[in-house]
Amino acid sequence: MPSQQTNHPLPAGFQLDRYRIERQLSLGGFSIVYLAYDEDGTPVAIKEYLPNSLALRGDGQVMPAIADEHLNAFRHGMKCFFEEGRALAHLSHPNVVRVLNFFRANETVYMVMQYERGRTLQEHINKHRGEIRETFVRNVFARLLNGLREVHAQKLLHLDIKPSNIYLRTDGNPVLLDFGAARQALRGDGPTLKPMYTPGFAAPEQYKAPEEMGPWTDIYAVGASMYSSLAGASPLAADKRLERDTLQPATKRWGEKYSKQLLELVDWCMVLDYHERPGSVFALQRALAERHHVVHESNWLDGLGRNLKSLLKK
Amino acid sequence: MKFTIYQESRIGQRRNNQDRVAHCYSRDALLMVLADGMGGHLHGEIAAQIAVQYLTEHFQREARPRLLDPLQFLAGSLANAHHAILDYAIERDLPDAPRTTCVACVIQDGVAYWAHVGDSRLYLLRGKGILTRTRDHSRVQMMIDDGLINEEEALVHPARNRVYACLGGELAPQIDFSHKTPLLAGDTIVICSDGFWAPLGNQALLDGYQRGSAMTVTPLLMDQAEARGGEGADNLSVIAVNWEDDYRGDTTSLAVETETMPLDAHTTLMEGFDKARLREPELTDEDIERAIDEIRNAINKYSK
Repeated sequence: MPSQQTNHPLPAGFQLDRYRIERQLSLGGFSIVYLAYDEDGTPVAIKEYLPNSLALRGDGQVMPAIADEHLNAFRHGMKCFFEEGRALAHLSHPNVVRVLNFFRANETVYMVMQYERGRTLQEHINKHRGEIRETFVRNVFARLLNGLREVHAQKLLHLDIKPSNIYLRTDGNPVLLDFGAARQALRGDGPTLKPMYTPGFAAPEQYKAPEEMGPWTDIYAVGASMYSSLAGASPLAADKRLERDTLQPATKRWGEKYSKQLLELVDWCMVLDYHERPGSVFALQRALAERHHVVHESNWLDGLGRNLKSLLKK
Repeated sequence: MKFTIYQESRIGQRRNNQDRVAHCYSRDALLMVLADGMGGHLHGEIAAQIAVQYLTEHFQREARPRLLDPLQFLAGSLANAHHAILDYAIERDLPDAPRTTCVACVIQDGVAYWAHVGDSRLYLLRGKGILTRTRDHSRVQMMIDDGLINEEEALVHPARNRVYACLGGELAPQIDFSHKTPLLAGDTIVICSDGFWAPLGNQALLDGYQRGSAMTVTPLLMDQAEARGGEGADNLSVIAVNWEDDYRGDTTSLAVETETMPLDAHTTLMEGFDKARLREPELTDEDIERAIDEIRNAINKYSK
């Protein structure tokens, strides 16, 4: 099976439909994402469907070579790419990446998305390892969950939520990216593709029982993303946890540093048995908001309050 | 046991797929079973499903990891599958019992045993020839045996689809059993429905499997059979196995090695009811254009 080959991106300056390619932003097994500019000079992110196991573009070429025996599989994957586009097109939410256009060229298809400035949560975690504050986690995830709720309302599961798929705009607002793994799984009659998942963030049912996937599957990934924000590294993969669960619960690991309520929430999301997890994003949001107004991190004002109290006691 | 196995079932140009295939192995025994539900009768695919499921389940119960008597296993489970189909018809109060052909083959200790009813076939290929194959329970096969027509004429004879033995009919099924047939490394067994062998013919089938392994050749031959079937292409299904015990050539990593399997373990590959039934529609150029239009409309509609 040729799967280790890599595709060459379209060159800088290439005129693709009404967009001019600036550079490659990322290269995945399924697609290439470019930064490009439209005729008004507005930057956009363009995702090119190009699964490297089925279609190969050599250096300096434009048209990918697709072997006859791969044509059906290539088209089948294209269907999934359409699913992603269709789902995103129906979503207009500040915390979900916006699709601007969709077109066909070079024997494949392209999805044009709003270009976001900022950095991924992963980059933020790497930079601030071990010093992420509770308010930051609560703020990012509370807003992200607003977006995820919309996704689920479209009967769509993301299935690949992880810090590198969460973008932080320069104003700090999170945007959920890359629905490459998304399927209309909630409806259950779509074609099933070979699952793609990220160890550490994928829920056990993604490995073991894909027919049992549901909103709780994305909720596991949200929990794992929060865990990873606190830990500064990916948590133990769910399949390993099923064999021997050596993952230290958040409540045990950071009991001193963060509020018990937040840590309990993280552990709740990451329960291996999905029946025991929050059943919906709404349930999770409610829990996340519950104590938000009650427990603050100690800041100078709280300190001042305590000092005043102790002064008064004297 | 060491072997390379490939199975596939395709709908052809029909509205549903009434063929069912499965194979199943323990450390010491391999079962392959194919059933072609009969279209003229109600619920042909149900009869085929019951037969395949009955045999695989029976195998899983009995092959721990060996069958006591493979021929007896085949005789007993085919007879019971026949009764299970009749029971189904009675329970559902069906006017007519659903019917199916069936070929089942067991390999144990390097010896093959098979049984068949109807016009689904088993071919045993060795060297450059067909060592043996099953005789169809069909009107045309009788005519061939009587010297009235030859094989080529049979392929186009108007009665070519008339099968006089099946599982699920009113009469007790007429089941033919093979001799104990020792296998040699390099032998190929091909089990297939008439949607495969009829358009292809014996020679093309033989030539095809001379050229490569079951895994690479089968899908190509299926393409060929489907193409020759044209607009009327029947359901077509194949299970093909390359027997590789004491095989000395370059062993492919895709070959199955059962020596390390626990004694009570089985591996079964059988497609689900719905999966075999529905054909994955191909995405045509028009479909692509339509999908893009739909997405663009949604973008326009939902963007403020």
